[in-house]
Amino acid sequence: MLSLFLHNGGAASKGQLRYVATRLLSTTTTSEHFDIVIGGGGLVGTTLAAALAKNNTLADKRVLLLEGAEEFKGFDASGPYQNRVSAINKNSIELFKSIGAWSHIEAARYKPVKQMQVWESNSDALIQFQHDNFASDVACIIENDLILDAVYTRVREAANVQVLNKARIECVRLPKNTGGRHSELKLQDGRSFTCELLIGADGANSIVRKQMGVDVFSMNYDRMGVVATLELNDDACDNSVAWQRFLPNGPVALLPLTDKLSSLVWSTTVSQAKYLKELPPAEFVEAINEAFCRQNARVELADKAVQLLNSFFGQQATQQQVQYPPRVCGVKDGSRASFPLGFLHASSYVSTGAALVGDAAHRVHPLAGQGVNLGFSDVRYLVESLAAGAYAGFKLGDTQHLIKYERKCLAKNVPIMLGVHGLHKLYSTEFSPVVLLRSLGVQLTQNLPPIKNLFMKGAMG
Amino acid sequence: MLRNSVYPHSKLLQTLAKVLGRCNNSNSSTGGGGSATLDADTKREVEHHENQATDWWNQNGTMEALHALNEIRVPFIRDGIVARGNVKSHYVNTTKVLKGQCLLEVGCGGGLLTEQLARLGAQVTGIDLADKLIAAAKVHLTELSPELSSNVKYKMEPVNQHAKANCERYDAVIVSEVLEHVDDKVALLEACVRSLRPGGSIFITTLNKTLPMWVAGVAVSEYVLNLVPRGTHHWDKMISPLDVQRILDTMNCQTVLVNGSTYDFWNNSWRWINTTQMCYALQAVKDSE
Repeated sequence: MLSLFLHNGGAASKGQLRYVATRLLSTTTTSEHFDIVIGGGGLVGTTLAAALAKNNTLADKRVLLLEGAEEFKGFDASGPYQNRVSAINKNSIELFKSIGAWSHIEAARYKPVKQMQVWESNSDALIQFQHDNFASDVACIIENDLILDAVYTRVREAANVQVLNKARIECVRLPKNTGGRHSELKLQDGRSFTCELLIGADGANSIVRKQMGVDVFSMNYDRMGVVATLELNDDACDNSVAWQRFLPNGPVALLPLTDKLSSLVWSTTVSQAKYLKELPPAEFVEAINEAFCRQNARVELADKAVQLLNSFFGQQATQQQVQYPPRVCGVKDGSRASFPLGFLHASSYVSTGAALVGDAAHRVHPLAGQGVNLGFSDVRYLVESLAAGAYAGFKLGDTQHLIKYERKCLAKNVPIMLGVHGLHKLYSTEFSPVVLLRSLGVQLTQNLPPIKNLFMKGAMG
Repeated sequence: MLRNSVYPHSKLLQTLAKVLGRCNNSNSSTGGGGSATLDADTKREVEHHENQATDWWNQNGTMEALHALNEIRVPFIRDGIVARGNVKSHYVNTTKVLKGQCLLEVGCGGGLLTEQLARLGAQVTGIDLADKLIAAAKVHLTELSPELSSNVKYKMEPVNQHAKANCERYDAVIVSEVLEHVDDKVALLEACVRSLRPGGSIFITTLNKTLPMWVAGVAVSEYVLNLVPRGTHHWDKMISPLDVQRILDTMNCQTVLVNGSTYDFWNNSWRWINTTQMCYALQAVKDSE
């Protein structure tokens, strides 16, 4: 009866829900205690568990990782490439190195990106990111399941981390509501736990965040991201450039996976995404090739301005020519999928006995490949702050030191998120003055290395 | 020129001293408790702090700045003890870093610092003259930090009495945000040092006796911004680090470290600064001959 009641939770009033939650929790007799409970065993949550286990100061803390799905099946490095991949920046790689997961990824497969080219369909403006003489990588393209496999291996080795699969959080109670000293949570299967600190790594619809009562700023972009694994023509060479072209409906990106394979991330309107997903393979491939090559309505003034700017900087027109990505010649069967895009930011990441990481705290457009990297940077900051706090005798759930984590995260995340959101807005229009301005901005950045390096630092860590 | 700039200051001081005096008088008429053996001034200080007893553990209440101070004073004490080489190396960088250390906290109040040091494994005795605060500390310990109950002892007792019974017993004595409320600093420090074992450290944090400190710490924070309850701090009781050092020198305690600190009220956090003009933390080591 009670569970039936909860399933109708959407319709039930908050008061009723709280009443049910109280009853559910009060009926339990014993609940196991952990120092830290992580709700959500996705990329960020599992990496957090591995990083906590690896930290010397936190070595005596018992950690529980809750994951709603079945046990992770592992990753087959000889199997077909997967369609969900991430562009991992230097900071995140440092994190993997520090928890001993990078060697695992290195031993499997990943693709370093030496250069990134970003251009658009309404003018000639273009920007290329690379390190001097391609000395180091701009980012690495890694399959999400491989990252998960690498960090899971570390988690399984850790003596102080326990993983619970098929564990869905039903309700959460925090000290600020109960006046108690622990955070409490109950799973859908009836088990319940208490902890010093409950970490919400449970994604954009975080239950932990709802209980924290923080304000959330969110908007739906009414866009979908279409992903697929693509086969390339023989002209791909070593395929070490990541390509992104802004089209009026949203950016289309080609991320290298191997010399002959690339991963597609195409952000577009919901209807076009649906259409693309259902196209026959040959026509889908044609649509992709067209997306990277077709000239849209040109804004001639913008083209002239870009030319003028380039001549001012003494650039030859030939140097500025757009490189074109390799021709796509096939799509892997069953690799097409789509996911909704949106923007979300929690006004606060912490409260007494609880903290948020990753998508539970922030969600961005994938156009700069920042989403998961911001999540990994949360992990670094949170582990740092928890270790410093514990070494200074603070309770793990004490906001006095958790607030330091929040401050560090906000200082890093907010500018990046605003930047990404701004780019999305800036490129969603064909209005010629905007095209002119953004073209000039991009070309100016391309021609002024200090500014370009600033952006690279921000985005690539 | 110089006289011109000094004169308004002294005038200002006088005026505000009057305001302070009024405030104190009105305070002393309220509240009860306190030991009969205490002199009137000490009694007033004790009562003033007892009035905050219920709000002591509220992180967003009147003791907000004191909560935030833990962010720097706990590491100062911890690292000070570690630096003397009294901590086994395998405890360093763990949450048991102070395991086996026997600490005395003089003027522990509601136990903000006491509990936090105990959480690092130390055996901490907290003493205070305010029985309401000791009661609040005990309640908090049993209700919200029962895991520390074997590490913490609270007692309402004057320090000289405690030192008589616990001569040269403690590895470290902590006098945090207390000196500025005490008239007879020599007697207090003498008792603290007596209870300290040779080679042990005494840690003091307090406000400096400087004009910037008085303006920011008393005039602005008590009367303009209301960050601290009015009548908490008094000019004539503030003491400079050099004076503390001189007193400790006469008791065979070598000052090894003086760090300046300041409070940023806008984000409720403390930080170390390059000057002791505002607040300071001081560590002195008792000679072991």
